[in-house]
Amino acid sequence: MAATKKLVKVCRDCHRVVDGESCVICGTMNLSTDWAGYLVIIDPERSEVAKKMNIKLPGRYALKVR
Amino acid sequence: MMEMEQSASRIFAIKTTSKQERTVADNIKKAIDTGASDVKVTAVIVPDELKGYVLVETHESLPRIEQLVEKVAHARSVIKGETALSEVGHFLVPKPVVSGISEGTIVELIAGPFKGEKAVVKRIDAGKEEITVELYESVLPIPITVRGDNVRVVDKGDLS
Repeated sequence: MAATKKLVKVCRDCHRVVDGESCVICGTMNLSTDWAGYLVIIDPERSEVAKKMNIKLPGRYALKVR
Repeated sequence: MMEMEQSASRIFAIKTTSKQERTVADNIKKAIDTGASDVKVTAVIVPDELKGYVLVETHESLPRIEQLVEKVAHARSVIKGETALSEVGHFLVPKPVVSGISEGTIVELIAGPFKGEKAVVKRIDAGKEEITVELYESVLPIPITVRGDNVRVVDKGDLS
């Protein structure tokens, strides 16, 4: 819910929407608040969208990160 | 036959309350994660270009998605008719915002202090997605660098 209100950060490497100060998957601090397009992957194994985007883990992603 | 139906992934468009597209996507995820709805959705796409709608990828049928929509706040209705990934795939690979803009293009600034002003494009930085423009009605030609998505193309044409 809070996702839309405060400045949400996105990992520049894996495009994953991050809650804290670093990306839990890549461990990088390379985050961006300037992004557009949103993608929620719930079941990466059965999702063709996830395959197309090369996403192996469920979660929230940005489509475009600046 | 059943196998075929299971493997085909369908995409439905859900109409949302305006500006709540991302909330709807989060709510769909929440509804599925918490078990509030047993409808299986594999992915939700919220393209920036598509205002007021979210796209859900699922293996289920339209009535099942309608069931899901009833449980999700800010989701209003499902558009009757389904589509395939091939038709919405272009939303997943966002094209650079400066595409379609070339030197000499007349643009209108849609954000920032010069909002509403018309300008001529002088230079394009595709890497940074920035463009340098000169205001149309200004007496002195002052170059201004703006972000590519802060302009709207008015006239593509004449480079003269």
